[in-house]
Amino acid sequence: MNASRRDWTIAFAGIGFAALLPFLAPDGFVMHLMTSVAIAAMLALGLQMLLGVSGQLSIGQAAFFGLGAYGAALMTKEAGLPFLLALPLAGVIGGIASLAMVPITRLRGPYLAVATLGFSIMVYLVLKNEEWATGGSYGLIGIPRPELFGFRLRDPMLWYWFCAAVAALTYVGMLLLQTSRFGRALHAVRQNEDAARASGLRVTLLKSQCFVISAVVSGMAGALFAHHLRYLNPNDFTFWKSIEILIMVVIGGVGSLAGAVLGAAVVVVLPELLRVVGDYRMLVFGAMLVAVMLVGEGGLAGIIGGLWRRAAALLRRPRPALRSAAE
Amino acid sequence: MSAASALLEAAGVTRRFGGLTAVDGVDLVLRPGSVHGLIGPNGAGKTTFLNLIAGVLPPNAGRFALAGAEITALRDHQRARLGIRRTFQNLKLFPEMTAIENVAIGMHADTRAGIFAALFRTPAQRREEAMIAERAAAALAFVGLSSQARTPAGTLAYGHRRLLEIARAIACAPRVVLLDEPAAGLNETEAAGLVELIARIRDSGTAVILVEHHMDVVMTVCDEVTVLNYGRRLAHGTPAEIQADPQVIEAYLGRDTAEPEAEAAAC
Repeated sequence: MNASRRDWTIAFAGIGFAALLPFLAPDGFVMHLMTSVAIAAMLALGLQMLLGVSGQLSIGQAAFFGLGAYGAALMTKEAGLPFLLALPLAGVIGGIASLAMVPITRLRGPYLAVATLGFSIMVYLVLKNEEWATGGSYGLIGIPRPELFGFRLRDPMLWYWFCAAVAALTYVGMLLLQTSRFGRALHAVRQNEDAARASGLRVTLLKSQCFVISAVVSGMAGALFAHHLRYLNPNDFTFWKSIEILIMVVIGGVGSLAGAVLGAAVVVVLPELLRVVGDYRMLVFGAMLVAVMLVGEGGLAGIIGGLWRRAAALLRRPRPALRSAAE
Repeated sequence: MSAASALLEAAGVTRRFGGLTAVDGVDLVLRPGSVHGLIGPNGAGKTTFLNLIAGVLPPNAGRFALAGAEITALRDHQRARLGIRRTFQNLKLFPEMTAIENVAIGMHADTRAGIFAALFRTPAQRREEAMIAERAAAALAFVGLSSQARTPAGTLAYGHRRLLEIARAIACAPRVVLLDEPAAGLNETEAAGLVELIARIRDSGTAVILVEHHMDVVMTVCDEVTVLNYGRRLAHGTPAEIQADPQVIEAYLGRDTAEPEAEAAAC
């Protein structure tokens, strides 16, 4: 009943890779892009918890992301709070906002999805129209550089490491949750709600808790995002952002934490790589999404897992056919 | 039969679906340490009655009491927490989870570790996980599924899935377990094993309500039998009394006896 050794191996291999990345490519733009991947990974992990573990589809994750981003930005810019305090508080803002969703966790499937969408439309309108606080369509400028104990994270490499570390902690936390009594219960709720209830599980409470966790993580991702670009615009928090997060999870593989991170990397990095094809890049990107889905519902995690098993089987198998051919 | 000796008591329970009265003023008393059979022709209201006991459906009239305490207003997960557990006629397992994880869910309500404990792997959390693993393994052994502990429930053989549902339901040593046609689809050997298993569940201190079409199973293992027909209680008594009851025979065989035991044997 513990996390399999494989899950932890993948987690630590990924974290090791993320930590060493700046040495492999010590380039300002690459660091910027990788920081964006770390932030996107948190958003994807948040939705993975919701969709892949508890089986709830949200297409309004941008709402919690946006509330965390604006909340953290206003805390450091206007209230002068230290960044390290604004970061968890942004998570708290996301979490509190998600409590508004508690009544709708009774909804299922498309009904729940549309309700989350409605919530994110409302949040978007608030961000856009409450100009006194958010700067409205002009955006929010002058967000200070993130500071740790009076030390400014001016170096993009240090800032990347910080964001990657927060994302890594999120990943490890979710792995710990998944392999606990709490995570087991969420998996059960996803797989058969009637049986879960018959076993005495408080299904609505569990789903709500999952919603809050997802929103806390998304809010914290917002705080990182605000201090990454140091400029916020309501258009970063539209329906499209929520869909992007959904694409990350589905492309990566619903249910797989590693897949969520992989999906986030693909959704952030691929459009940049595809700049070589110019105007067609989003067309090619879209076609690639279709292709991955055609290969299998397991997403990238499923494809890679399948290849891995096949390779392992090939290595184990004795090859008399080859030997006789060589003779 | 006084209510004082009842572990679970249903009194005048009625449930209507539109114009149809599926369960009509049914009384049932489950004695501690007994197996109570619930039989009747198809459509007699057995599964509806079971769902009413489990709290999946609210009754239109009547009341339920568990060990003398009123539980009529409680919903299914609340009754489960009080120790009324069930299995489902159309198996409802967690297919992607291993057998032992399925059983662990059955112990969720009796354990405590929450989100904080999971994140920080507190000593209490570790102890509790070890306890869950140990007792879940014991429940699997009880039904004879130890060798399948690490098998995903969705890939288990049909008979094993039935046993796994029982293991999940009894893992927390509930007061009452409701078995909804556990012998459905089992062969003769498996059915005989089931009879023996139900007897062991009773002997372990869990009273059983058994909905079953398989008459050999019912008549062998039950201490008392209640017969439903058209939503009403047609008869109640020991297996021997029920088998001799002319009303029951008529309900099962029809007045013409054109199709002997068609219903009873169809299971």
